Amino acid sequence: MFSPLVLAAEKGFDYGDMLFYMVAFVLLMWLVKIFAWKPVTKMMNDRATKIADDIDSAEKSRADAETLAAQRQDALSNSHQEAATIVADAKDAGSKQREQIITNAQTDAQKLREAASADIEQQRQDALVSARKDVADLSIEIASKIIHKQLNADDQTALIDSYIEGLGKDDQTR
Amino acid sequence: MDSFQFLGLTFHTANIISITIAFILVFAFIFFLSRKISMKPTGGQNILEWVIDFTNGIVRGQLPGRDGSQLGLFAFTLFLFVFFANQLGLFLQVAVNGVDFVKSPTADPVITLTMAMVTLALAHFLGVIKFGFGGYVSNSYLKPFAALLPINLVEEFTNLLTLALRLYGNIFAGETLLKLIGSLAFSHGLPTMIVALPLEIAWQGFSVFIGAIQAYVFVTLSTVYISRKVSAEE
Repeated sequence: MFSPLVLAAEKGFDYGDMLFYMVAFVLLMWLVKIFAWKPVTKMMNDRATKIADDIDSAEKSRADAETLAAQRQDALSNSHQEAATIVADAKDAGSKQREQIITNAQTDAQKLREAASADIEQQRQDALVSARKDVADLSIEIASKIIHKQLNADDQTALIDSYIEGLGKDDQTR
Repeated sequence: MDSFQFLGLTFHTANIISITIAFILVFAFIFFLSRKISMKPTGGQNILEWVIDFTNGIVRGQLPGRDGSQLGLFAFTLFLFVFFANQLGLFLQVAVNGVDFVKSPTADPVITLTMAMVTLALAHFLGVIKFGFGGYVSNSYLKPFAALLPINLVEEFTNLLTLALRLYGNIFAGETLLKLIGSLAFSHGLPTMIVALPLEIAWQGFSVFIGAIQAYVFVTLSTVYISRKVSAEE
């Protein structure tokens, strides 16, 4: 098993090979470091960082999306409520307006009725007044016609006298 | 030419060439897969990230927290290097006149011992850095109680040997059997070739599996040894 080793020892131990291997290995390690190890491990670390960042940002955007969805849900339910309020308000306003209109109409009707009855009363008064006047005129005419026919000189004198007498009494009392 | 001398040191030609090829394979692998790095991974980047995740998972399993993140690069490089080194000898073995030129570098105990030594040296170094020398000694050798000191000392050496020789044994055995089946194929002409070909294919497939498993085991045990040095023992 050790024969190559013993053989080597007989010829002088292969320090040269050992030295050559060590130099080659250190040199190889250095070359690997420059050409592959550094760029690849750097890229692997960068990628790990990037993936971690991506996961974080994905987490964040998911949370954002959830917040937005919640906000939208709130807004939706709020808008339902708002719509209900608006409809209720409109109903209220409508009924109030209706009441108002009815009241106005009633007031107007009342006023019209009052005006109409006042007119009627006025016309009745006017008619009454004019009728009275007519009756007076008519009666005076009738009276004058009667008086004209029946009044003679004596009677006329007596009438004038009584009238003057009456005037005198009226002055005294006044 | 089996080996040569340079600056008073002995170099094995096969090991130098094989380590260089494994080095180039690993570098080409990471280089071509890391050309287009983007936030959305495509093609090569996926493979690279999968391997990085895999080795990081091994490290995190033993060393959760900050200690582990510093070891990611080490585990990644070690895993790729051991993996490619294990597979190299399965696809390409060059031997001229009985002298190897290309084979799995991990099929040589000297290389696997060096790998284990680097790992364990790193473990002891990180232990001293973390606890200071006194804390390191007490944490590594005097816990759970001081009487275990000799066993703990022996364990350090067995760790080194088992870590290195497990890898070496698996890969060396795989290659040896490949060579044996190969020589069987060319021993008696066509009939043996027909018999040996499916055997060779099956064993190659199994060796690919073993090579991957051993790379995983080597990196896992490396991080276990490091974690035992840098985490306080209860």
